[in-house]
Amino acid sequence: MSMSAPIRILLAKMGLDTHTIGVTVLAKGLRDAGFEVIFSGFKQTPEVVAASALQEDVDVVGVSSLSGGHMRYMPHLLELMREQGLDDTLVILGGVIPEEDIEALADIGVDRVFTMGASMDDIVAYIRRAVAEKRGEALA
Amino acid sequence: MNAEHKPAYGYSTQLLSTSLEAWQKQVWQPAVEAQPERQEQFLTQSMRWDIKPLYTPLDLEEIGFRYEADLGFPGQAPYTRETRPTGYRSRLWAMTQVTGFGTGEDSAKRWAYMLEQGLDSLIIEYDLPTTNGYDSDHPLARGEVCRAGMALDSLQDMEDALNFPLDKLNNIMSVCNAPQPVNLAMLIAALEKKGKALDSIRLMMPNAILIEYTCVGRYIFPPKHGLRIATDVIEYVIRNHPTWAPLSVVGAQLYAARANPVQEIAFSFAIAKSYIDALLERGFHIDEVAPYVRHITGIDTDFFESVAKLRAYRKVWGRIMRDQYGAQKPESLRLQLMSSPGTMDMTLQQPLNNIARLGIQMLACAAAGGAYTINTPLHDEAHALPSEEAIAIGASIHNIVAHESGVADTIDPLAGSYYVEYLTRRVEDAVLEEMEKIDAMGGALKAIEEGYFQRKLAEQQNARNRAIESGERKLVGVNYLVKPGEKREIEIFRLDDSAEQRQLERLRKLRASRDNSKVQRHLDAVRAACRDGGNLVPPILAAVKDYVTHGELCQVMREEFGEHDPNALTPDI
Repeated sequence: MSMSAPIRILLAKMGLDTHTIGVTVLAKGLRDAGFEVIFSGFKQTPEVVAASALQEDVDVVGVSSLSGGHMRYMPHLLELMREQGLDDTLVILGGVIPEEDIEALADIGVDRVFTMGASMDDIVAYIRRAVAEKRGEALA
Repeated sequence: MNAEHKPAYGYSTQLLSTSLEAWQKQVWQPAVEAQPERQEQFLTQSMRWDIKPLYTPLDLEEIGFRYEADLGFPGQAPYTRETRPTGYRSRLWAMTQVTGFGTGEDSAKRWAYMLEQGLDSLIIEYDLPTTNGYDSDHPLARGEVCRAGMALDSLQDMEDALNFPLDKLNNIMSVCNAPQPVNLAMLIAALEKKGKALDSIRLMMPNAILIEYTCVGRYIFPPKHGLRIATDVIEYVIRNHPTWAPLSVVGAQLYAARANPVQEIAFSFAIAKSYIDALLERGFHIDEVAPYVRHITGIDTDFFESVAKLRAYRKVWGRIMRDQYGAQKPESLRLQLMSSPGTMDMTLQQPLNNIARLGIQMLACAAAGGAYTINTPLHDEAHALPSEEAIAIGASIHNIVAHESGVADTIDPLAGSYYVEYLTRRVEDAVLEEMEKIDAMGGALKAIEEGYFQRKLAEQQNARNRAIESGERKLVGVNYLVKPGEKREIEIFRLDDSAEQRQLERLRKLRASRDNSKVQRHLDAVRAACRDGGNLVPPILAAVKDYVTHGELCQVMREEFGEHDPNALTPDI
């Protein structure tokens, strides 16, 4: 079993969306799974989220969006992350995301979208696998 | 046993105990051995309380149930059977749905459609820039304008929004908690401009800012200023428009944040007490304010838990008003309730199943009674804003329950059920216990400032999530009878993407065309009221009539009161 560093994830809320349940439950579930979780706070701009991702040296940025603002701020966030050389950081998005948007989100570089009802086990397993791949590690 | 306390059911306790025991041994036990029960334990959905195989009069004796003290008659204390003497036999509940999107013009079209479907009341929701106190052209508003509700920048948007035939409309509820005085002022000014007699429509405002700090998050100012602003609105309405409803404690939001029935009632009542205390400090008598305190509850799919919750809600309220505040007038003791079947129980998966869930929830609301209004969420809730088809189905669910089910035809038809009475009392006792705890903390404002409610809700959210993920709590389509590779089976509503641009253009033109020399004078007057503690509504009403914008007014209040730290919502992340 490899002794790899714990996975670090920044959970982010952007715009004025203050739905709290998803991000609260996720923070707890990911911590219970052994991840290091950092929360951006509410009502953030893509600028602040990209800067925190860089500063906190995270493996994953997980954005929670339930008010329909994702098609506006996700492209901007990914552009800023690329500018800062964060191409390898895994970006996932969860919340109320219409099926029609998922392909467009993949095109701009969102690695994975989880819609309502996604299970914690699936999210944890996906992040473990994807981060291991990015780090070039074998899965324990 | 004291003769006057003898239960009126025609049984003897001793004989019944003996025969129950005999049944258990001779009939039930062999049957369970031949065919074991489906589950090791049966629990209520939300409280997770143990459910016995059978309830009998002995359970009522165990809790000391007394007809007069526990039930009484409709319209009389303790109000368990109904707050109104005739239940739904004289008048059904007002049938309503939440809506609002796009510009004022877009919303007006939708509302006209809703009234044509047989609804008579509207609940208006605003977009996030509006509820957070920003104009549509503020940098933080980008991408959110016109989305989660209607955009409201100035009086002209409200004028557009009310530009449909108002004759069938009985009630408007307008949900804009943090900037409620601005919202109230715009509604008054717009109705006046339409030439509508202000008291011919009942205007209701949740004005529920204290709830926003615990879960929803659409607040602006720190809690104690939030409370002062809300109290200004209540005071203004009581003095100027006494037929309106200036306060609803939205327990439905706590429910949506996964509060169980006991927490929802206890937190809501604790919050209600904060508003009442603030009004009493302004010199009102309890009997002048208590009739204005309304509640909105969220109802979930567990039928019996919901019925018990609704009955306990009104029973405990009357008791608090009488015992803790010394209220005397019957209208002070009668809980004014709007029921809202559960938005949070609407699943994304197999969304048509939600029609069945709504039917059960509506049935519980109608059977338990006590609500003057019932609001239905719609089966496509988890996907998008409602489609026209979903609105029409929602209106039909109201009418099927009202006219086909029979539950609205006698008052409190489930009373006397051993299980219902047992559960009602259990909810009641647990609520009183939780409220004592909150009182000991120093009341709701303190509990919010210290994050108590928020932490309790987070615990509930995690527990519910675990129960669903482990399969312990079954949700059809989510963790049970799942359709692999399910494709969405309904058409959803897509907002016209041009709405934000149209709104921005309107606001730009307004700023260019209004008499800007008056704007600063109005803002100064509002600032002065913030400082000297005068009621904020009159200067804001004068300002909106000269088209001072929503964001400009909120900005002045921001400068005077400061802003609340958004991270206080989640003290533990």
